[in-house]
Amino acid sequence: MPNFQPYLQSPLVNFNLPAETVPADSSQQVRANELPLLGYIAIRGELADAAIAAAVSSVTGASVPAAGQFSTGDAGVLVWVSPDELLLVTRRAELAQRLAAFEAAFAGLFAHAVDNSGGLTCLSLSGSEHVTVLRHMGVYDFESLAVGQAVSTVLGKAGGTVLRLEDDGVFLIIRRSFADYLWLLLRKVCTPYRFAVAKLAESGSHPLLRLLDKQHAAPARKAVTA
Amino acid sequence: MFQLHCPHCGATREEEEFSYAGEAYIARPANPEEASDAEWGDYLFMRKNTRGWFWEQWQHTAGCRKVFVVKRHTASYQIAGSWTLAEGKAHYLKESEA
Repeated sequence: MPNFQPYLQSPLVNFNLPAETVPADSSQQVRANELPLLGYIAIRGELADAAIAAAVSSVTGASVPAAGQFSTGDAGVLVWVSPDELLLVTRRAELAQRLAAFEAAFAGLFAHAVDNSGGLTCLSLSGSEHVTVLRHMGVYDFESLAVGQAVSTVLGKAGGTVLRLEDDGVFLIIRRSFADYLWLLLRKVCTPYRFAVAKLAESGSHPLLRLLDKQHAAPARKAVTA
Repeated sequence: MFQLHCPHCGATREEEEFSYAGEAYIARPANPEEASDAEWGDYLFMRKNTRGWFWEQWQHTAGCRKVFVVKRHTASYQIAGSWTLAEGKAHYLKESEA
């Protein structure tokens, strides 16, 4: 009897990254791994409107980022997308709670928040040659990407948002539907460099890594209980 | 290949990130009910094919996904500037009056 129960799985499940993951060490020039199954909320509304900006801040605990930047808060990482759109990266388990909070905060305003978790995933890319790898993949001047910036650009034939949270590495927010292509492209581009699927750093108080649900990170699949 | 400045992102990026979105500021007939077939056809299908300075729309497809206007020289590829649709309209109207 086939199992028709819905389940949650990473778009890179067939690469079986957990089996390939090794501890990070300094001999690796490029390290990559996936941050699977985070929650993504698209927020639409004119950001120049003070009432909308205040509502977003009250829900996320983060200030509305300036163009091309991101900010961090209790809810997670708030990424600027366009003058009327933001992307909130949050814990998967907190999605319903966040969406309800947005709905309440946006009452009477011309703004809304939508769950986009089914459409996106996140990769971590670090190591001494990670900028070289990005330059192989896209046309943007990645050397100029400073800490605090979030740049949406072309990566190969797909698009992606590159977030720099620290000097040592970046995070790529990519479409789930292009995850397979981008992962294969990344592996190919990394051939000349010492590449490893490295264990992600200890989450601690890291704004993005702390959002990872440990339960989700271990098995590639998880039944949907809700 | 050239670079374009996106007024929404406030950044200058490679052409690869943008999509061309045609001629800018094509005026819709003010009263469509009374427009003749010829007028309506011109509005829908006829486009300028200028050699020289040209107002055109570009969309920042890989970035903010917004459409904006660029004044570009179609022969030399020189770019006079880029504006949001609303800001550019004032420049465009001033220029077409002159």
